[in-house]
Amino acid sequence: MKSIVKFAITLGLIAAITGFALAIVYKITKPIIAAQDAKALEQGLSEIFPGDYEFLKLDKPITAQDPSVQITECYLVKDKASGKPVGMVSRVTVPGSQAPIEMLVGVKSDGSVSGVKILKLNETAGLGANADNPKYYVDKKNKITFLGQFIDKNVIKDKLIPKQDVIAMTGATITSSAVSKGVKVAGEAMVAYLKEAGQ
Amino acid sequence: MNKLKIIWNAIIPNNPVLIISIGLCSVIAVSNSVQSALLMTFAFAMVQIPSNIIVSAMRKIIPHEIRVPIFVSVIAAFTTIAALLSQAYFNSVYQIIKLYILLVVVNCIIIGRAEAFAYQNGVFDSFLDGIGNTIGYGIVLVAIAIIRELIGKGTLAGIQIMPESYQPMLLMILPPAGFIMIGILVGALETYLKRKEGKK
Repeated sequence: MKSIVKFAITLGLIAAITGFALAIVYKITKPIIAAQDAKALEQGLSEIFPGDYEFLKLDKPITAQDPSVQITECYLVKDKASGKPVGMVSRVTVPGSQAPIEMLVGVKSDGSVSGVKILKLNETAGLGANADNPKYYVDKKNKITFLGQFIDKNVIKDKLIPKQDVIAMTGATITSSAVSKGVKVAGEAMVAYLKEAGQ
Repeated sequence: MNKLKIIWNAIIPNNPVLIISIGLCSVIAVSNSVQSALLMTFAFAMVQIPSNIIVSAMRKIIPHEIRVPIFVSVIAAFTTIAALLSQAYFNSVYQIIKLYILLVVVNCIIIGRAEAFAYQNGVFDSFLDGIGNTIGYGIVLVAIAIIRELIGKGTLAGIQIMPESYQPMLLMILPPAGFIMIGILVGALETYLKRKEGKK
């Protein structure tokens, strides 16, 4: 009985020390990480819609038809000079082969993809992790990356299915399908929203 | 024990991957590219060395019966701290190594060394053992990665080495090739050690 109490106290003490150390490191790093996330988002938005645009965050994100594709944030893209909406960008989460993949998907009002940027990816190293590798080309001849191939595809007219109209990454069919599905489903939802809003 | 011998033992005669045969999952998972192998080694060092030091420093107050949950707490804490610090202060590097840092928590070499060495030896010796094991693990990882990446992708650290006409052998970047390569290296090292023993 005495030893059980001793073990419980020792284990509790070690857990408290490690927990305290983690809490301190978390508190110090949290604002820095949050600022970096905000910067990455801002950079992602301007990469997807390069030029003189403003991004207006919608109060409530739109809903995708497929429940496996979650849209967590939406931004209406307006031309600064004319004030006219030109498209939309959404933060989208899809289930990957290892963990959820978080990305930004941008579409223009006509349904063409303006860009796709991955924010969080934990896929298999050397295979699915190549999704956002700027040196991994699915089309070596024309130096087109996996995400690059989506630009100018139309989310309404094109099927966006790997091995049909999308080039899959070698050995990473699940990741290729997940990203393609995210672009297609979120893209369709954004185009429907823009149409409904008369934009 | 001779200080240099501690490091040498962890690299060749007691290599964690090839002789003790632990930590194989991570070797197979990340040895399909040289860059991944180097980053995994870096992440491994960030947890292995401080974990060894802390376990060694606390060895006299850790009861034998509950040593394993304590080792796990220490290792998991260091893995999380390493992940948070690299995300905050070396974000560009973290974006590449995040996958490897998280994999370290389940690397049995770290808990194996805490149990077999750090729990029995002094702080400085445990520090040296951490360095030796990092080198031993890293050498195997990089050696396998060089062969797998070269044959499986035609590149080395992302740089095209093989001619454009070369058809990469996909099997090499898939897990079975990792097992095959480990088998070949185990055979080579065992042969070397037996020959060395024979000469004595």
